[in-house]
Amino acid sequence: MKYDVVVVGSGPAGSVTARFAAEKGAKVLILERRAEVGVPVLCGEGISQKIDNWGMLEGKRWIASKMDGAKIYAPDGTMVTLSKEMAGNETGYVVYRDIFDQELARQAAKAGAKIMMKTEATELLMDNEQIKGVKVKQFDEEFEIEADIVVGADGVESKVGQWAGINTVLKPNDLETCVQYTLTNVDYKLDYCEFYIGKKIAPGGYVWIFPKGKGIFNVGIGILASLSESGMALKLLDNFIENHTELKKGEPIRLLAGAAPVAKPVETVKDNLILVGDAARHVDPITGGGLTTALEGGKIAGETIGRAIEQQMFDEETLSAYETGWKEAFGRKLRRDYLVKEILLDFDDKTLNMLADSLKDYEFEEFSTLSLVKALVLKHPTLLMKLKPLLKVSKESKEE
Amino acid sequence: MGKPKAKVDGEKCLACGGCISVCPQDAISMCGGRAFVMVDKCISCAICIRTCPVGAISGEVY
Repeated sequence: MKYDVVVVGSGPAGSVTARFAAEKGAKVLILERRAEVGVPVLCGEGISQKIDNWGMLEGKRWIASKMDGAKIYAPDGTMVTLSKEMAGNETGYVVYRDIFDQELARQAAKAGAKIMMKTEATELLMDNEQIKGVKVKQFDEEFEIEADIVVGADGVESKVGQWAGINTVLKPNDLETCVQYTLTNVDYKLDYCEFYIGKKIAPGGYVWIFPKGKGIFNVGIGILASLSESGMALKLLDNFIENHTELKKGEPIRLLAGAAPVAKPVETVKDNLILVGDAARHVDPITGGGLTTALEGGKIAGETIGRAIEQQMFDEETLSAYETGWKEAFGRKLRRDYLVKEILLDFDDKTLNMLADSLKDYEFEEFSTLSLVKALVLKHPTLLMKLKPLLKVSKESKEE
Repeated sequence: MGKPKAKVDGEKCLACGGCISVCPQDAISMCGGRAFVMVDKCISCAICIRTCPVGAISGEVY
């Protein structure tokens, strides 16, 4: 069995990569070890509305609701509102991730990609140290699939990267460990998404409440693995729901777990190999959101692969157009947000409360870094010292 | 008696893959929709145990 490209994983990054490679005429195969694309959902159902401009998804079935902005609650309950105008990237859709993933896979199939279900890549197929495809297991049958390019779209686990000698192991302080419920019959009016921060609520992470409409809510938690204990994420989420006057009256119809890398991106290209999406650590280290980067990066990967197949050149140098491309598109943002993540982790609850108190009445419409800092420091002068590292990051990223 | 090695309770595991991503020994894989520890590779660091969001991994002395 010989293809131009074999994509390991049918998540958003894999399907988008497959689609754009296939549109360029490449013969593409997607492998999915599960029995249904997008199932089980593995956390995260929020996405920026900027995807509207990319035209990668048709219809509206994948949209559960639109969010008008975000409300962020400090440990002492002080609320900061990010309106539609100001929230920028934070304004978005709550999606049905299973339908969302299936729509992207449909687009890949429409472009000509083949999909194999219940087919798991077990190792790389090598010939004289050169990647020649993958070995797979389908039910009880084991066989080989040859391909000129292997795409690792295998998510946070990223085995394909490891097999190719890329160190994708995450340090515990570079992983958010998550659980979420879908709660139904909740009488809670909410057009915004809500985020709750604080060491006791979600150490090194946050609790989120996403409205999905009809009294259905996606309520979840992510905590930093280095601050976690066994089963802690689920216990903290249960506590949060129990202490919420409305959520506690709801009933769960789904419980699922997830893991989001909040790391620096890794090397994403080798001879005959490309990593995309979570496998490439293309996730915003502040929010843990990786859908937009999966789509954006996947498109760049697919187009790069399409050109490589046209030229019949599969070496690292040819494929590095992908790495250059994603670095231009969002590499700087990921690097900057990683630094910001590190700084925010040092903030104690008292600092977070002071920040929220300074920001709660701030008119975000007239946003600029300077006016923001003035507003913060006027109310709580001690914040100046805490904010210094952030200002440095902001300045450096502008100068780059 | 050796140090306790990680063991996944297949009934509790929700297959998020978090443990696999933090294992410094590449000792965990997804197997039949559940995380599975290759005991020979496990170095008893317990990182996976602390990472598991639902408490599906514990230490077991072999």
